[in-house]
Amino acid sequence: MIRHTLSSKKMKKALRHLIIYVLLILLALFMMGPFLWLLSVSLMPGRNVFANPPAILPTFIAFDNYVQVWEFMDFPRYIINTVVITLLGVVFNIFLSCLTAYPLATFRFRGRNLVFTLLISTMIIPSATAMIVHYLTIQAFHLGNTFLGVVLPAAVSVFNIFLMRQTFLGIPTDIRDSGKMDGASELRIFVQLVMPLVKPGIAVIGLLEVMAFWNNFLWPIVVLDDPQKYPLAAALTYLNGQFSYNFGWIAAGTMISVLPIIVVFLFTQKYYMEGIAGAIKG
Amino acid sequence: MYKAIRSESFAAWAFMAPGLLFLAVFTFWPIIYGVPLSLTDYSVITETHFVGLDNFTRAFKDHNFLISLWNSLVYVLVVPVIQIISILMAILVNSRIPGVKMFRAAYYIPVVTSMVAVALIWSWLLGNNGVVNYLLLKVGILSEQVSWLSTSSTALYVLMFITMWKGLGYYMMLYLAGLQGIPADLYEAARVDGAGPLRLIIHVTLPLLRPHILFCTVISVMGAVRVFDEVYILTKGGPGTSTLTSSVYIFQKGLEQFNFGYASALGLIVSVMVAALSVLVFRLNRRGGVNTY
Repeated sequence: MIRHTLSSKKMKKALRHLIIYVLLILLALFMMGPFLWLLSVSLMPGRNVFANPPAILPTFIAFDNYVQVWEFMDFPRYIINTVVITLLGVVFNIFLSCLTAYPLATFRFRGRNLVFTLLISTMIIPSATAMIVHYLTIQAFHLGNTFLGVVLPAAVSVFNIFLMRQTFLGIPTDIRDSGKMDGASELRIFVQLVMPLVKPGIAVIGLLEVMAFWNNFLWPIVVLDDPQKYPLAAALTYLNGQFSYNFGWIAAGTMISVLPIIVVFLFTQKYYMEGIAGAIKG
Repeated sequence: MYKAIRSESFAAWAFMAPGLLFLAVFTFWPIIYGVPLSLTDYSVITETHFVGLDNFTRAFKDHNFLISLWNSLVYVLVVPVIQIISILMAILVNSRIPGVKMFRAAYYIPVVTSMVAVALIWSWLLGNNGVVNYLLLKVGILSEQVSWLSTSSTALYVLMFITMWKGLGYYMMLYLAGLQGIPADLYEAARVDGAGPLRLIIHVTLPLLRPHILFCTVISVMGAVRVFDEVYILTKGGPGTSTLTSSVYIFQKGLEQFNFGYASALGLIVSVMVAALSVLVFRLNRRGGVNTY
C-alpha cells in the first residue's frame, strides 16, 4: 500500500515534469523558431523564402551568402561605426549616471527633493516630440552628421540614474565616513573608495546601453546625412530597401548584425537579468 | 553642522552638474520647448509666425490625426494580453527543473535583438506565400492566403502581435523577479489549506505580484501608446491609414515634412493623454486590484 502511493507520487512528479518540458519546448519554438529559420535561410544560397512548400530546415549548408554580402556591403566600416557609437554612448551613460546618482543616494543637501521631483516628472510627462526638438538642438550645436550628435541625446537617462542610485544606497555609510576621517576629499572618496564597490551596477548600465545603442536605427538615420557613417542596424534598412528579393543576402546581413548582441547577452545574462530585476525597485 | 551641510551641498551640486546639464538639454528642454513651438508655424523652409492656438484647432479637425489617436488607443489592447501571457511564462520558468535557465535566456533573445531584424523576419514569415500562411492553411485554420501586413483589417493587429512577441521575455523576467521574492512558506500554507494550482495563482501569486503588475502595466501602456519602430519599419502607417499611430504621424509631420510647429502641437496633445493614461492606471490599480485588468 505504502509502496503503491510512493510510486504513484513519483509518477505524478514525472508527469508534471513532462508537461512542463513540453510547454517550455513549445514556447522555445515560438520565441526562437523565427531566428533559427532566418539562420537556415542565410545558410542556403538561392533559396526563396516564399517557396511553396516552404523549406523550414536547411537541406544543405553553404556560406556563400555571408561571403557575398560581406563583399558587397562595407561591413567592417559599419561595424566600426556601430562600435564607436556604442562605446561613446556607454561611456557617457556610465560616467554621467554615476556622478548624478551618487549625491542623490548619499548626500544631504538643499534642493535634493527638487531634483527628485524633476526626475520623476519626466517619467510622468513624456515628450512625444523629443526627437524633433533633439534634431533642432543637434543642428543648433552644429553636431549634425556626427557620431556625437547620435550619442548625446541619449547620453544620460533618468532610468539609469535611479538604477545607479539603488546601487549606491547599498553601500555602507561608514566607508564615506572613514574616508573623511582620513581627510580625503569627496571626489577622492568617490573615485577610490565608492566606485570600486558599484561595479555590478556599472556592468548593468553598460549592458543595457550596449544593447540600446547597438540596435538603434532611426535616430542615426535622422542625424547622419552620410550613409557611410551609419551603424549596422541603420545600414541594414538600406540593404533591405536595395535588395528586397535577395533573401539570402539580407538574411546573412541580418544575422551578422544580430549575432554579436546575442553573444554579448548570452555571456552576460546573469548580470543583465539581475539588473533588469533590480530596476523595478528603483 | 550647518557648515558641513553647506559644503556637502556644494559637493552634491558639483557632482550632479554634468548629468543635470545633459538632462536639461535633452530631457527637460524637449518637454518645455514643445509648448512655444506648438504656437508657431515653424518649419525649416519658411519664415516663422506666431499662430496662437491654430495648430490645436487644426489638430482636432485633422482626420488623420484623430485616426492615429484611435489606432494608438487600440494598440493599448496589447497590454493586458502581454501581461497575462508573460505572467504565465514567468510561472512556467519559475519551476525548479534542470535546464530552465536555458529556456529563460531563449525567451529573452527577441528582447535584445534589434527591431529592424525582428521586423524583417516577421515580414517574411507573414508574406503571402510565407510560412505562417502555409502552416495555417495546412492545419485548416485558413481557407485562403491572407496578406497579413497589407490588409487594412489585419495589419494593426499583426503589428501588435509582433510588439507582443518581442516584449514577452522582458516582462517575463520582471515577473520572475517578483515571483522569486514570494516566500515559499506562503504557498506551503495555502497548499495545506487545500488550495489547488489555479487557486494558488489567484489567491497567492497574483495579489503578491501586484506592485510588479502595476509597474509593468504602466511601462507597457506608455510603450504601446508611443509605439513607433515596428510600425515605421513594416507599414509606415499603411495600408491607407489603418496602422497610422500617433508617433508615426508626428514623425511624418515633423521630421519628414518639417512642419515642426504643427508636429509639436500634436506631440503636446499626445503627451497629455499619455500622462493622463498612466495616472488612470495607477488609480485603477489602487481601487480595483488585480481584477481590474
